[in-house]
Amino acid sequence: MIELKNISKSYGGVRALSEVNLSIEYGKIHALLGENGAGKSTLMKVLSGAIKKDGGAIVIDGREKEMDSPKTAREEGIGIIYQEFSLVPELTASENIFFNQLGKSFWLDWKGLHKRAAALVESLGFKLDVKKKVCHLSVAEQQIVEIAKALTSDIKLIIFDEPSDVLGAHEVSILYKVLEELKRKNIAIIYISHHLQEILQISDSITILRDGKSVATVENKNLDNDKLIALMLGKELQHIYRERPGVPARGAVFEVSGIQLPMGDSAVGLTARSGEILGIAGLVGSGRTELLRAIFGADTAKRKKVSINEQQIKTNAPAISVAYGIGMVPEDRKKEGGILGQSIRDNISITNYGLITSGFGFIKKKIEDEHIAALVDRLKIKCASIDAPVSSLSGGNQQKVILAKWINSGAEILLIDEPTRGVDVGARSQIYDILFELANKGKTLIVVSSDLEELMSICDRILVMKKGGFRGEVTKDAFSEEKLLRLAIE
Amino acid sequence: MMRIKTIPGKFYQYNTVIIFILMLIVSGAITENFFSVNNISNLIRQSAPIGLISMGMLLVILTGGIDLSVGSVVAMIGVAFSMLSYEVYFPVAFGLSLLTGLAIGAVSGYLVAYRKIASFIVTLAMMSMVRGAGYLLSKGAPISVGPHSSGILVLGSGSVWGIPVSAIILLIVFTVLYILLKYNIFGRVVLAIGSNEEAVRLSGIAVKRTKFVVYGVCTLLTALAALLMVGRTGVGTPNIGVGLELDAIAAVVIGGASLAGGKGSLLNTLLGVFILSMIGNVMNLLDITSYLQQIIKGVIIIAAVLFQRS
Repeated sequence: MIELKNISKSYGGVRALSEVNLSIEYGKIHALLGENGAGKSTLMKVLSGAIKKDGGAIVIDGREKEMDSPKTAREEGIGIIYQEFSLVPELTASENIFFNQLGKSFWLDWKGLHKRAAALVESLGFKLDVKKKVCHLSVAEQQIVEIAKALTSDIKLIIFDEPSDVLGAHEVSILYKVLEELKRKNIAIIYISHHLQEILQISDSITILRDGKSVATVENKNLDNDKLIALMLGKELQHIYRERPGVPARGAVFEVSGIQLPMGDSAVGLTARSGEILGIAGLVGSGRTELLRAIFGADTAKRKKVSINEQQIKTNAPAISVAYGIGMVPEDRKKEGGILGQSIRDNISITNYGLITSGFGFIKKKIEDEHIAALVDRLKIKCASIDAPVSSLSGGNQQKVILAKWINSGAEILLIDEPTRGVDVGARSQIYDILFELANKGKTLIVVSSDLEELMSICDRILVMKKGGFRGEVTKDAFSEEKLLRLAIE
Repeated sequence: MMRIKTIPGKFYQYNTVIIFILMLIVSGAITENFFSVNNISNLIRQSAPIGLISMGMLLVILTGGIDLSVGSVVAMIGVAFSMLSYEVYFPVAFGLSLLTGLAIGAVSGYLVAYRKIASFIVTLAMMSMVRGAGYLLSKGAPISVGPHSSGILVLGSGSVWGIPVSAIILLIVFTVLYILLKYNIFGRVVLAIGSNEEAVRLSGIAVKRTKFVVYGVCTLLTALAALLMVGRTGVGTPNIGVGLELDAIAAVVIGGASLAGGKGSLLNTLLGVFILSMIGNVMNLLDITSYLQQIIKGVIIIAAVLFQRS
């Protein structure tokens, strides 16, 4: 058994953790639940030796251990699978898996290395070309490599930090199988996730963190979404997934055709009306993200045709798309969405300098102040001031800033890739409200998401992608998770 | 947690000011003539060219790039101006020299922004080519400025009401750039590109154009610096300015900028320049040999950057 006893940690004057208790049994999945900022990451960093605790004890099999570095934690048998993987992109999967053992002998037995790596991956119920460089693997495959890597040492506990967030529905089921394998190997698992459904499905017990305290530990029996949410928030909440209120306006038609995706056999296209929220479902690697990027002009696409109300427009580059009133919320918030080091003000203003500048690009500060403050207010962005760097915000608020920047641009067509990835429950429903408001105002929203439940609750229509093409369309009255999944897999 | 991060962030900016004031006090204390009018105006005249170059360098560094060609540009433009001064009127020679500087940066900027070659590589190659061009033009020998262009000496050595002309030029350029960085979207875009170029591109901003422009501005300012330097000596010399790019980068870094881009201050960069000049000036006043000077300078640069972080 691995126990965390009365763990405390402060950053400066702020208490991130106060007297948190957690005990994990071998061969069990222990879920860790809490809003962003509740202290989950800090706790896991303490356990994995990335940061030092101020007080409390870590006890493994009855003996107290000091985790003063990630190396000691690893030697004590604690592994962590971060959301952003710690793999070396330019090395092969095999080399990454056995990375910690590589320096042990001068000569490398390549054949043996690949063979052992392949066997290890296979023991997780997965097939993978381990000779491939990691940068050429999909996110799901990288995750498998990361897990295999953790298994190369004598491991007692693996921490998963929101592992399913980066996966599509099919890959998630593979992950669950892998988890079963790990349980069978008598490895303890800490599983961090925002997805309540998932936690209810796979975990044996659940600990809820709130404001840096462990408020409850419960066995996974007779629980449901609402009970978990109540524990997380400390109060009852309405359903996270919401029905869209109001009647959508109908008008301009946005049409795209002739897009050839790298993974597809033939060209694809789609049509969306203003006031509509069109969902795009599909597994990771089915071309959802690539499609949005091609429409927006983030990547070049030959023979692409884009038209608004039968008026053909060119969207060869983001700058042109933006000028035509198209905006894109990218999948990767940190790398492509937010300019994290700069202020909220800079991040929002960037899409529409015309609004806040006089001739020659000089900024009218007062107008900008009022304008940004109004947007921050309207989208309920929690921040110290509009001059705070975006990196200081929680994931949900960062996402709201990115939505704010496209509202600021006046975009009529919004391409949104994973609207709520890494966003906590509270902010999630606020983001849905924003999307509903935009659609009700007659904007066209095209939403890609790996979360089928999310798509079904916010979209009017869902297109399902597989291998770079559309495999079917489902309208609201016929939504079912099974139907969508079948289209995506079969 | 947010609050804790921003408050030291504010102090951070003042660290360069503190180092600057410390340097002033120390310099005044250990040398007899530091605060004499003669020495101070000499110090400013010395600092003005490197000040101009460092401000240009800051712009490039803010976008996440680097320009190693500035030292060579100083030499080549000095030579070019001296040669032109025999052929055409002073203002024409002056203007053509600045244009040449701009053109060099345009080539670098084009290769970096539009052809996506790493700035380090591009400007390293330019450093070699431009240096070679300077030697080729002058056949390796220094060239004195022609008789019609003695006006250049006013730039380098003249004063208006006791204020060195070069200081006035430095102040004008500083003011223009300060306003552009603080009150114009140009500054916003430059900083944003340094923070996250891809996010800026996906926001619909013409990233390439801005990157192209900063390299042009950098070498334009470097050309102006070259003219100030010719104005001090009256000679265009093909072998000057070796290692100048390092001084400029050092000044920017002492000023607290991040070499990764997205963070830096114009005022602090200028203070960085004066800190570097003071180190040299004081050591000269103390009769320290130039070999030892180089070692001490390096130590002080590292100490200053460490202090920046504390």
